[in-house]
Amino acid sequence: MDGYPLGSLDHNVPYLLVSGLTTSNSELPLQENLKYERKILLKSKLPAAEGTDAKALARYFQAVDEQGKSWAAVGSKTPYRFRIKNVGRTIPLPPRQARLPERTETLESHHILHSPFSPLSPVSSLYPDGLIDAQWVKKHQELVPSVLLCFYTLTTDPTTTTLRDNELKNDIGELKAMLAKSGYKTRLAVALIADQDSTASSLAAGLQERLENIRRGATLDPKSLFYIPPQDSDAELRGVVDSVLTTLYGSAVEYYRDLARHSRKKRSRGIAPPPTVPPTTGTSRTLSIPDWNLRYDFKSGIFAEFRQEYDAAVRFYEQAYGTLLGQDVLDVIPSWSPRWNEARLLSDVISIRCLRVHFWMGMTSLAVKRWQVHRDNIQDFVDRRGHGTANYGWQAWEARWATVMADLIEKIQIPGLTNPSPSVFLPPDRSMMAERINPWEHLHHRGYWYRIAARHLGFRRRLAHSIPDDDRVPPEDPTVKEKFGYDTYLCPKPYEEYPLRGHGVNHSQLIIDCLIKAQTQFQSRNQTRTAAEISLECAKEMASTGSWQDVLSVLRPLWEESSFRSGGWINIAEDFAWLLRRAAVDEGEGDLVVAIDWELMHKRYTQRPNWHYDLSKSLEETTCSSKPEVRISDDQVEAPIVAGWAFMGKESRAGETCVAQLSLKSEAFSTAAPLTFKSLKIEFDGALKPIVLEHLPCEEKSEGKVSLAALTLEEVFDAESGDLPTMLKGQTDLTLSPGNTLVVEMVIALREAGEVTSSTLQLNYGAESFDLSYTMDLGDLRNPAGWYTKGYNAPRYIRAESHMLHVQPRPPKLEIKYLNSSSQYYVSEPIKLRVQLVNGEDESVSVKLDAHLFGKVVPAFALKANGEEQKVDSAEEESRLTEFPIGELASSSSLDVILTIDPAEEPTSYDLHLRASYHLDSDAATPITQMLPLQLTVVNAFESNYDLNPRLHPDAWPSLFDCDTISSSPDIVEDTPTPFRGLSQSWCLMCHFASFALHDLKIVGMELKVLSNLKNARCDIVKQAGTPKDGILVAPKTMHEARFDLVTQKVSLDDRHPVPLELGFVIQWQRHETDGEQDGDGARPINTTTMYAGNYLVLGSEPRVLASASEIDMGKATRLLLLDITIENPSNHFLTFGLNVEPSDEFAFSGAKQTTVHLLPLSRRALTYRLLPLVRGDFIRPGILVRDKYFQKTLRIIPTEGMKIDKEGLLIWITPMEGEGEEGKAAVEVEEDDDETGGSEE
Amino acid sequence: MTTAIPSIACLGVIGRNNNPMHISIFPSQDPITNNFAPIRTPLQFSLILSSTIDVFELRTRHNAISGGGLSGEYGLLQAVDDRLAAYGYETNTGIRFVCVVDMRGRRVDSAAASSKQGLRDAELKPVFRAMQNAYVRLLQNPFYSPDEHAPLGGNGGKKITSRKFVDDMKRIGDGWTPGVVNL
Repeated sequence: MDGYPLGSLDHNVPYLLVSGLTTSNSELPLQENLKYERKILLKSKLPAAEGTDAKALARYFQAVDEQGKSWAAVGSKTPYRFRIKNVGRTIPLPPRQARLPERTETLESHHILHSPFSPLSPVSSLYPDGLIDAQWVKKHQELVPSVLLCFYTLTTDPTTTTLRDNELKNDIGELKAMLAKSGYKTRLAVALIADQDSTASSLAAGLQERLENIRRGATLDPKSLFYIPPQDSDAELRGVVDSVLTTLYGSAVEYYRDLARHSRKKRSRGIAPPPTVPPTTGTSRTLSIPDWNLRYDFKSGIFAEFRQEYDAAVRFYEQAYGTLLGQDVLDVIPSWSPRWNEARLLSDVISIRCLRVHFWMGMTSLAVKRWQVHRDNIQDFVDRRGHGTANYGWQAWEARWATVMADLIEKIQIPGLTNPSPSVFLPPDRSMMAERINPWEHLHHRGYWYRIAARHLGFRRRLAHSIPDDDRVPPEDPTVKEKFGYDTYLCPKPYEEYPLRGHGVNHSQLIIDCLIKAQTQFQSRNQTRTAAEISLECAKEMASTGSWQDVLSVLRPLWEESSFRSGGWINIAEDFAWLLRRAAVDEGEGDLVVAIDWELMHKRYTQRPNWHYDLSKSLEETTCSSKPEVRISDDQVEAPIVAGWAFMGKESRAGETCVAQLSLKSEAFSTAAPLTFKSLKIEFDGALKPIVLEHLPCEEKSEGKVSLAALTLEEVFDAESGDLPTMLKGQTDLTLSPGNTLVVEMVIALREAGEVTSSTLQLNYGAESFDLSYTMDLGDLRNPAGWYTKGYNAPRYIRAESHMLHVQPRPPKLEIKYLNSSSQYYVSEPIKLRVQLVNGEDESVSVKLDAHLFGKVVPAFALKANGEEQKVDSAEEESRLTEFPIGELASSSSLDVILTIDPAEEPTSYDLHLRASYHLDSDAATPITQMLPLQLTVVNAFESNYDLNPRLHPDAWPSLFDCDTISSSPDIVEDTPTPFRGLSQSWCLMCHFASFALHDLKIVGMELKVLSNLKNARCDIVKQAGTPKDGILVAPKTMHEARFDLVTQKVSLDDRHPVPLELGFVIQWQRHETDGEQDGDGARPINTTTMYAGNYLVLGSEPRVLASASEIDMGKATRLLLLDITIENPSNHFLTFGLNVEPSDEFAFSGAKQTTVHLLPLSRRALTYRLLPLVRGDFIRPGILVRDKYFQKTLRIIPTEGMKIDKEGLLIWITPMEGEGEEGKAAVEVEEDDDETGGSEE
Repeated sequence: MTTAIPSIACLGVIGRNNNPMHISIFPSQDPITNNFAPIRTPLQFSLILSSTIDVFELRTRHNAISGGGLSGEYGLLQAVDDRLAAYGYETNTGIRFVCVVDMRGRRVDSAAASSKQGLRDAELKPVFRAMQNAYVRLLQNPFYSPDEHAPLGGNGGKKITSRKFVDDMKRIGDGWTPGVVNL
């Protein structure tokens, strides 16, 4: 906003003149032409107020003054705003009336004198036809105060109070009179401060009366006299001053209202006042009525601004603006006249003031609209009446007009656009909310406005450069009228703008300044791309002035950051690159030139005609201090080459070789020179050393697009590296023509195990003037490299991660062999595993063996080898035997290891892991592991079921009538410590068992054991089941039977309780294996399996009926059957049974058909029937019914040997005469399963 | 007497990776010679489009703070100066459509457009709807792979080469004037 006259744009706030706080007197800042006018001086005789309070006040007033200068929008709540000036006791005021010019003839004595600021006064610069200028605004803002505030000291010396008070009264009165005489309407206010040596008590005495007295004496109104008592702190003092200023603000506003009223009154008179002296020079034109109206409206607007009445201000401004641009004011001013530019200036000033008021009121969109309207209006005017818009002056103004807006936004600090703020523009203001508005009418931040200004400055330079040479020399004769046709409004004349000789306006600098301001704004809002764009413009501007160093410093960081390039904005990136290259060439930045040339070879950029596109010629025009070594990578610069790396297979083993391909595809322009790389280096992540390929020129060139070279890489060893190579080396032709693909197929020897991933490729290019080394990424997951095959131009897709290779470790060659033929083992059997370690390595190894056994319950186990043995105790879940030393094992030798596991008690399964960890004797650091997992299942070898069948005990029962049998029985073994005198019962346990083993087993012994501890009874196994001497060979899944006879007897006859009997069936067996899988000692162990044979109740006290039969051979044809029905009564009761035999067709019988049997307690009786069976080889069913007479209950008859029972009753087998019923006999034995055993049901 | 009305000066499609996927430039009418010519060079239009990414990103950041989503929103991004203004629309897949409007791109009889001052955001809605429709049609093409045009997590991407899409853009750019409801 430079260029506009000082003061014309100041924010107008009430002007307050403070007198009496300082002793220094100041001059009035008057314009040159008014310097010699008579000034008005108001003087006071009293000394200035002194003391700390006075100084603090002066400081505070200065602060208030500073605040008043601010353009920032102020809310209506602010109590006051003032511009404040401190003067001494002499108060200067500008002259009220101008003097008559000296040459004026005094004949006309009735000259009316006007203000020196009025165009009517010849002394004014506006005389005779100027409209209004900044001087008038300044007069009110800086010369004529609205309020004059005089400070006096109020004495507290009681002896002089009356005297001093009277002096005060007089002084104030005189001052008031002088002010009235000066003609200014300035309000007078008086502030009294207590003198320094006052005390609170001295002050209080009659103070109110004194003040009242002074006020009356000086004829001041109550609002104009203030008393400022001494304050403890500055803050309190400020509080008091604030209240004084707030009161004064009211009267100041009134003052300006009066002035505005006066101005409107003059306007309404509707006449154009004649000047003091009619003009005699120039056009002798004077101001017309519209001109005067414009003046009055403008003044009203300014006064409204003084009062901070924005609505009124904008109304008057718009009125003035309308008049100015109407038909009668600007239209009639000739464009050659200096008044034309003054009028334009005035229109600018009014517009800026309007914009400012709009901003203050928050009407941002309206302000932009107003801004556009003014520009359009002026454009229209300049086109119609002025020099048109096609010249540098107009563009200069356009730039200025945009800058004005930016400056306004900055100075007013519009909320929402101040830094840092996220918004680029403001939403439309409330006045425009409902309307269709131009996008530009959203107020954008300053950066946009500066850009517009920069654009117009660019146009201005172009137009300035088109000024013809004739106009670019200053006129030789300064008196000669200057050429018209150039718009020089607020800008230099053509010969200063762009002189033929010497320096004119530095347009570039103007543009750069503007752009940098804009760039700062965009950058601060994180609009980085826009900021970069402006930097580019800036750099172009710098380039035009040849300051390449600046171009480099501006563009280089942007080029390196390369957001445009990575985003694919090719044409923008290209623009950057070419400009930067020029700068780099000029500044001798060889590495940058090479990097840019390297990048620009890519065919996605626009091809520059006649450009060599040869990397070796890059530095032809660049002078570098030393030979540049350029190191760039693909994050900085994209290469005109696409590189790929592919391993043929996914997996390989250490010690073997693999095949891989490196492909380089040129994306350069077809006209570009071929690239020949000196060497290239491929680096890997993981267990592969870098590969270096060197260029080896090849005579024969392959035709076609793809050239495929195959080579085997040599391993290069280093003294320090030891066994492993430091790198792999090969030689091939590394010339890459544009558009072609170079494929190198390599055979790589793999030495180490692990994952291998290609990571980077480094291309080395050597030219005479520089060395280039370009590093690029080879591990792009998204674009897996394909596999090239000879004869095909396109690669074949092999897999997604073709750049990765899994190298498996060298396989262990020590073998663990399991020698047992099966993994099936049986309960109660100790497990013996034979394992063989076979060393398949080429040299001897040192082995340690770990055994790890898992299972529900893990029994103890032991490892045995080389005569050494280690044991592990049984444990839950798992047990472990570690580091069993096997020791040295020579190459291709073997060693047997025996693992024994203790017998399991129940069926289960085990997991056995045998791990041999060993190392080669030559390489003790590399552990190698071989493992053998085994699953062992342990099952029951036998399954069985049991029946306990009663038998008739042959011995007689003790008789109650025979005391011998009761006291001692001859049958009972005498030497038992406790004599057994109870009843005896005979039983037979039938045991059916089957082998569930997979192999034949040999049973070497069977035994029945009484497992339960019998208390008051005994159980003797009378007869064990016999086994032959060779044992019984039991084939899998076959059934076998074993019978055991046993006798039970109670200790006492009085014991009535049944005896529980638990029996165990013990089988001693061994494996019967025919294969050669045997221990060295050859003896097969005999395993003992004990099976639980059931729990039975014997020796109950219930009566039972036993049937037994025996055959009597009566001759050849007949056989007689003796059937004994034995009824036992072990109870203590006398029982009576009825016996009934049914006749049958199957047999004839003799015996009681119906009888009654009486049984004494503890007795048994047998009834014998003789049966003559009529059938042979079949069962007969003797229908015998035994009934307890007392309980009326039928007793079941229990069969013994050779009989069976079903639901109907007893069945007796009649053997056939000539061996015909063998099968039937066998059937009986099996079917006896169904029979009930034990006591009767009662 | 003629009045200037807005017209489309440039249509751009910007991909997820801030890469230009498509740029169409349309001529504006010169008020003096009545010739049709683009008012900026392709490079300048590219720069305008790329500068709108800044605004998109600012909005995204702002919306991330306030919790609102940007997808589906359209409106004024920035006015480049008092003549050119960029409007934008972001789909929920991160594709951004940008429409640069020349506020004085066409001239019509003042009688016809006397009341048509300025431009509402809603008047651009048909443009974005049509652009999105065209883009959706493009996506329906089985030979069009969106990932090639904006690789995930990568940089850059290919440009759209579909002739049909380019024709659609041309139709939209030529056919739009303020008040057009359907394109």
